[in-house]
Amino acid sequence: SNAVSPQTSMANTEEDPQIEVEESTEIKTKKHDSGARDLEKVTDYVEEKEISAQSIGDAMKAMSDRKTKERAKKQERERELAKVKINKEDVDLIVAEMEITRQIAERTLREHNGDVVEALVALTN
Amino acid sequence: MPTSNPLPPKENALFKRILKCYEQKQYKNGLKFAKQILGNSKFAEHGETLAMKGLTLNCLGKKEEAYEHVRRGLRNDLKSHVCWHVYGLLQRSDRKYDEAIKAYRNALRWDKDNLQILRDLSLLQIQMRDLEGYRETRYQLLVLRPGQRASWIGYAMAYHLLEDYDMALNVLEEFRKTQMPKSLDYEHSELLMYQNLIMREAGMIDEAINHLQRYDKQIVDRLAVEETKAELLLQKEKTGLAGDVYRGLINRNPENWAYYTGLEEATKPSSEEDRLKLYKDIEQLFPRASAPRRLPLNFAEGSAFRSLADTFLRRALQKGVPPLFITLKRLYKDPKKIEIIEDLVLGYVNCLKQCGKFDSSDTAEVEPPTTILWVYYFLASHYDYKQETLKALEYVNLALDHTPLLIELYVLKAKIYKHAGDVEEAVRLMDEAQSLDTADRYINSKCAKYMLKGNLVQEAADMCSKFTREGVPAVDNLNEMQCMWFQTEAAEAYKRMGKWGEALKKCHEIDRHFTEIIEDQFDFHTYCMRKMTLRAYIGLLRLEDKLRNHQFYFKAAMTAIEIYLHLHDHPLSDSDQDKNQDTENLSPSELKKLRNKQRKAAKKAQQAQEKQKAEHDKKEAAVKKQGDGELDGPKEEELLPEKLARPEEPLEQCIRFLKPLQTFTSDRIETHVSAYEIYSRKGKPLLMLQALKRGCQINKDHPQIHVCKIRFLLTMNKKGEVSESVQKVLKQEMDKLYFGKDAKTLNSEFMDRNNNSILHRLAGARIMYELDPTPEVQKKSLEIATSLSDSYTGITRLNCIEVLEAICRGDFGSCVSVAQDYQTKCHRLFPLCPSFIIPANSHPDQILANGS
Repeated sequence: SNAVSPQTSMANTEEDPQIEVEESTEIKTKKHDSGARDLEKVTDYVEEKEISAQSIGDAMKAMSDRKTKERAKKQERERELAKVKINKEDVDLIVAEMEITRQIAERTLREHNGDVVEALVALTN
Repeated sequence: MPTSNPLPPKENALFKRILKCYEQKQYKNGLKFAKQILGNSKFAEHGETLAMKGLTLNCLGKKEEAYEHVRRGLRNDLKSHVCWHVYGLLQRSDRKYDEAIKAYRNALRWDKDNLQILRDLSLLQIQMRDLEGYRETRYQLLVLRPGQRASWIGYAMAYHLLEDYDMALNVLEEFRKTQMPKSLDYEHSELLMYQNLIMREAGMIDEAINHLQRYDKQIVDRLAVEETKAELLLQKEKTGLAGDVYRGLINRNPENWAYYTGLEEATKPSSEEDRLKLYKDIEQLFPRASAPRRLPLNFAEGSAFRSLADTFLRRALQKGVPPLFITLKRLYKDPKKIEIIEDLVLGYVNCLKQCGKFDSSDTAEVEPPTTILWVYYFLASHYDYKQETLKALEYVNLALDHTPLLIELYVLKAKIYKHAGDVEEAVRLMDEAQSLDTADRYINSKCAKYMLKGNLVQEAADMCSKFTREGVPAVDNLNEMQCMWFQTEAAEAYKRMGKWGEALKKCHEIDRHFTEIIEDQFDFHTYCMRKMTLRAYIGLLRLEDKLRNHQFYFKAAMTAIEIYLHLHDHPLSDSDQDKNQDTENLSPSELKKLRNKQRKAAKKAQQAQEKQKAEHDKKEAAVKKQGDGELDGPKEEELLPEKLARPEEPLEQCIRFLKPLQTFTSDRIETHVSAYEIYSRKGKPLLMLQALKRGCQINKDHPQIHVCKIRFLLTMNKKGEVSESVQKVLKQEMDKLYFGKDAKTLNSEFMDRNNNSILHRLAGARIMYELDPTPEVQKKSLEIATSLSDSYTGITRLNCIEVLEAICRGDFGSCVSVAQDYQTKCHRLFPLCPSFIIPANSHPDQILANGS
């Protein structure tokens, strides 16, 4: 398929052949090998792996429990907020008095259980 | 491909060439190929080709045509990801990022795995700090291209920015395991340091220490390793180890003050002697380093301080170190230390004059002749700091007698005059300094700045033009170079001259620089990821997030708000010229002369400008002819002073400048005072209340906040037509601010609490008269405002000018003689300040009295 690339002054794309992850297993000899110590640095890392979606998948799985819980908690809060009954006139008043967007006005009102005085007090802090 | 209208092979090949031309910036060729496709009546309405033609036109600066083509293309092929992508790119180039994100999302609906679009989308998301969205997009990119480094880093970074440190570290660790570092691999080293940064931000001190140890050999940024290690060890209270690392760091660079702080924290010397010994030992190791000699001056007291300061001063004076005073300035917070330093240096003067030595003992050596010069120089700075202008001048003049052509002396003398309030003389001296070395850009800039302080804007621009690009007006080049110190000072100068439009132009230019700097981030999203400069990249993102808390923005915004408020209160009519405030006290003949002079100057300036502009245009045209003239961002509306001075909604303009201040500089009282002034004019009680509450939180006794507070109480007492809810809020919150007291009580309590500060006295007195404008109260309040006792704080030139201005403005009704008496009193305190010199023809007796 055809693709259009963006233009930026410094970088063209992330897909630069030099930065493709190394896949060879042999230890590279270096041009400026300054001796045994440098060699040691390399021999520390004989084991290596191809990056695969699998490993990232595993890493993510370990975290997924906590993530789901957090997300659930967040969604719960959103649901609760959505349930709060609010007055259109109150929202209008907040928007006019505090010069903020409807979205923020509504949210603040919901967060204060629809109590317009409390919401306004919070907004003047 | 879901496009509803695929091209046959021949046309498709042409289409691919359009894409290629676009990428290679050969726009004209691109248009030719587009014409070849669209010329065929069968494909005249081909959506993707139309879209690409539009995009290409956009690059040639034809924005309207571009939008027309792209929109038509999109309408003809709503299921093409190319059309949507192009639409997104067009919006993006117009800096409509939210719209661009929507377009990219639409494009992805038709081609959900398109890498290019996903990458573009991720860039916009990070630019807009849609972090959740960014994480999702980076996830898709990782799944599609797990073999690429940027995929992993980007995904980890998304979690880092969302402060989900565990996940960020997990991803990075998985990625690190796949890496095979070469020797001296900078990029791998940066990756490790980035990992370590996240650990530290997550508060994982032990992990971070272990991490540094384990990968020690792979990290090439040795300084960062050592500094980080030292900090971590301190946090773990492993003071012995931390001390060793700090010693190592001092060994590397004995001039970094932070290392000494760290070392002290690690070794915790128990007495002043131990502390001094610590520095003494290091001094012996590094006899040429100044930090171990300078730092003990901060904590040493009494005779220990005297002896250390003596050694320090002698060495520097002998060597001739011009910034010696600046090095010691921090010690001037302590009056005892000022006294000791003064005593020491005055002692040097005496001995040097008598026998050419620092002291009269036999062991002292004869000093070189330059030593006394630097002693004079130091004393001049010293007395300048103490506001003892005449003594300061005496010493700088002695120095000038000694070495008449030393530039530093002219600079210092100019500064003394500036501090004393005589800007004109300061400019003259700085110009002289500048003429002694016209190739020195520092002096050149200083001179320009002084000229701006003296309202000489054109002269300042001419001064700068010695170093700006040739063929372009200096002011334009300075704007292009985002030279904000010049623009802030110019805005102030125009404001002082009442040239509102010109001043606003400068303020808007500065505001645009900040927008520009935020835009400039864009390139770094890809660049830093590619170069692996991840720590620096995170630093950049965080800097940009609060960019407008910079002093330059603060100043420009305050100036703009003040002017817009003024223009709201006193709008200009169409025929009004920007007022020249100084003309009010001139006689008609003087005024005529001045007008003539102004006309001539304006004519000359205009001619020069036209000439330069013609040259500039010629060059621009030449540049445009080469290459296809790429456009950088959308063309902005031109800032026209006449138009700016007549804003349709000045208060909305104020709010535009205020908003960033409220977000980023909410710790400054001026922000909230401005907010109060704006919203009181808009009649928004709750927003006024907000400003007061925030201001009181910083300093509830600040004079300006006090004035706002009382005025708010008075307005609210009068007002009846607010809604019930607002009334409730006001009642509840005002009880907390005023405790049910009335304005008079509050004001007298305020004055009792702050009886010793002249600005507080001014504020209290103003309110006193405002509450009760009778002759008796006028007399009493003026007494309070103008009394100048030695025990008061804040008797500075600028504060005294503020008092004088308040009186002249009529804050206390009409009271000419009080103003003149006050001027006389201040003139004695600040003899060189023109504001306190009464014009010769008004009161000849007084001038005689002041002449001494």
